[in-house]
Amino acid sequence: MMGRPHSAIYGLMLLSFLVFAGCPPPTTTRPETASSSASQAPAGQGSVSEQSAARGAPQGQQARAPSSLEALRRGEGATTPASSPLKEIYFDYDRHDLRADARATLKGNADWLKDNPSVRIEIEGHCDERGTNEYNLALGAKRAQAAKDYLVSLGITANRLSTISYGEEVPVCKEQNEECWQKNRRDRFVIVPTRPAS
Amino acid sequence: MIERALALFFLCFSLAAEPLHAQVIGRIIGPGAERYPIAVSLLKDLGTGPDGKRFSEGIADAIARDLTLSGWFRVLDRSAYIEDAQRTGITLGTFDLRDWSIIGAEALIKGGFTLQGEDLQVELRLFDVYQAKEVVGKRYTGKAKDFRRIAHKFADEIIFQFTGVRGIFDTRIAYVSNAGGRFKEIYVSHLDGSDKIQVTNNRTINLSPSWTPDGRSILYTSYKDGNPSLYLFDLFAGKDAKFLSRGGLSLGGKWSRDGRFAAVSLEKDGNTDIYLLDRTGKTVRRVTDGASIAVSPTWSPDGNQLAFVSNRSGSPQIYVLELASGKTRRLTFSGSYNTSPDWSPRGDRIAYTGRAAGRFNIFAIDAKGGDPQLLTSNGGDNEDASWSPDGRFILFTSNRRGRYQLHIMQANGENQQRLTASGGDDTSPSWSPRTE
Repeated sequence: MMGRPHSAIYGLMLLSFLVFAGCPPPTTTRPETASSSASQAPAGQGSVSEQSAARGAPQGQQARAPSSLEALRRGEGATTPASSPLKEIYFDYDRHDLRADARATLKGNADWLKDNPSVRIEIEGHCDERGTNEYNLALGAKRAQAAKDYLVSLGITANRLSTISYGEEVPVCKEQNEECWQKNRRDRFVIVPTRPAS
Repeated sequence: MIERALALFFLCFSLAAEPLHAQVIGRIIGPGAERYPIAVSLLKDLGTGPDGKRFSEGIADAIARDLTLSGWFRVLDRSAYIEDAQRTGITLGTFDLRDWSIIGAEALIKGGFTLQGEDLQVELRLFDVYQAKEVVGKRYTGKAKDFRRIAHKFADEIIFQFTGVRGIFDTRIAYVSNAGGRFKEIYVSHLDGSDKIQVTNNRTINLSPSWTPDGRSILYTSYKDGNPSLYLFDLFAGKDAKFLSRGGLSLGGKWSRDGRFAAVSLEKDGNTDIYLLDRTGKTVRRVTDGASIAVSPTWSPDGNQLAFVSNRSGSPQIYVLELASGKTRRLTFSGSYNTSPDWSPRGDRIAYTGRAAGRFNIFAIDAKGGDPQLLTSNGGDNEDASWSPDGRFILFTSNRRGRYQLHIMQANGENQQRLTASGGDDTSPSWSPRTE
């Protein structure tokens, strides 16, 4: 479902194309602030300190991001807390291939998963609101799978990783502009709550 | 409670109609023709019911609304009517036709009703004002709460008299709305928005409703159990059941007209492909098999072909698969985003959503391929086309006035009118088959 009339769409799309075509995106189009842009810096220097912090926590429970369905049910935004050890990754419009910044973030996520081998996660694929709901659900599934495949290639066991697509159904940002759409074209990584020992 | 209410709504409903008199009117209406000026009189209360206005006005209003939505009629404003419907008769000779010709009515609908307890009897007649003839008359019996459906049935009869094909107003639509809050739930109503029922109430995300060919059940996708799966809601029994139990995304089922197969999109290892399932949800055949996305299948009326969306060329485009041979051809070539195909029940056209100049609009293209025709260009985004069961109208959703609202138009794009104003976004309409 496409957004409401917005005269600046084209300009923004063109701008974003120029921005994403060849070079790392500037922080103005990044959906997160200081902590995440640090983690996306040259393959994870900033994220090391966060990993250390998370390592001390019991299996990352402290900063567990809710699943998008949980967030929707509670009436909260489907956001990932800055303190979460697992960072979101972002995609270009109608694409599901991993950008360089997404790969760098996934390496950080993989390192944390290696340090916390009992944790299982669900990877959520999301889209921006433009286009058709059904196609976007299929696209979200592709985006989730792309992250899963990459994490497996980095040595994470596949049975620790499940995927789900939310298509365009749970946007984190609801304005009609490229900055907002970019925030919505994302994968989220949600720690699956461990069942009580039987 | 909802389920019980639904069951009552459908089980208690029975309408009997008997013809009083029929004669085909000699006028052609259709694309390009003038809208036919017609008057719809208030109905006469033939008994002494306590709630007369509800039926007298309610039935006349519903008929007038249907005729206006068709785009073929210009319903004359009631404030111009001269005669008092409660003081004149409803058969030829018991009222003065000049009262109608003088205000420019070329056709006239009059009727009367009696209410006994909850039993409603309605008599409706269509007159040709200039020829001073009764064209058709019908008597309907039903329950009082079903008075609008009686009106829809007679509107369909009027359209039959004028066009030779019955109208489509005694049908229903299913759609998705977030009007109740942040959750997307599925609703069913008549085309005019009346008799609305909330089908799902699970406070999650419910998507892609479509009708079984018998008009009895709605197949839909829901996140209510966590994973997006397919469910079947039986409107007659008021019962909901999981249609398919599996991991991964299960999406958007459409039934073949004979009801034997549901074409659905199932995701495995990240890729979504189209499968045919039988009535029990068992996979009969995998239809697409590739690394690219395939979604949104729609059947040709003869059940021999499926149109669907694939991004195998690098962008979402519509393809047509011949099931017997397995041969696939690309249908759309203009633009870089063509999705949501719906195959006309007449078989000749496929409507779809296409992006051009940054906007989404409804197009229709010859099912054999050829020049796509732009049907919407009235601003905003226009998406999710669904054909009427007679192939003469298209439902779609548009945000031309802000929120997404359901609209109707004729198959050629003329006469676009808004149907819903729920306060939320009303999307993904699916038009029911004809039901008795």
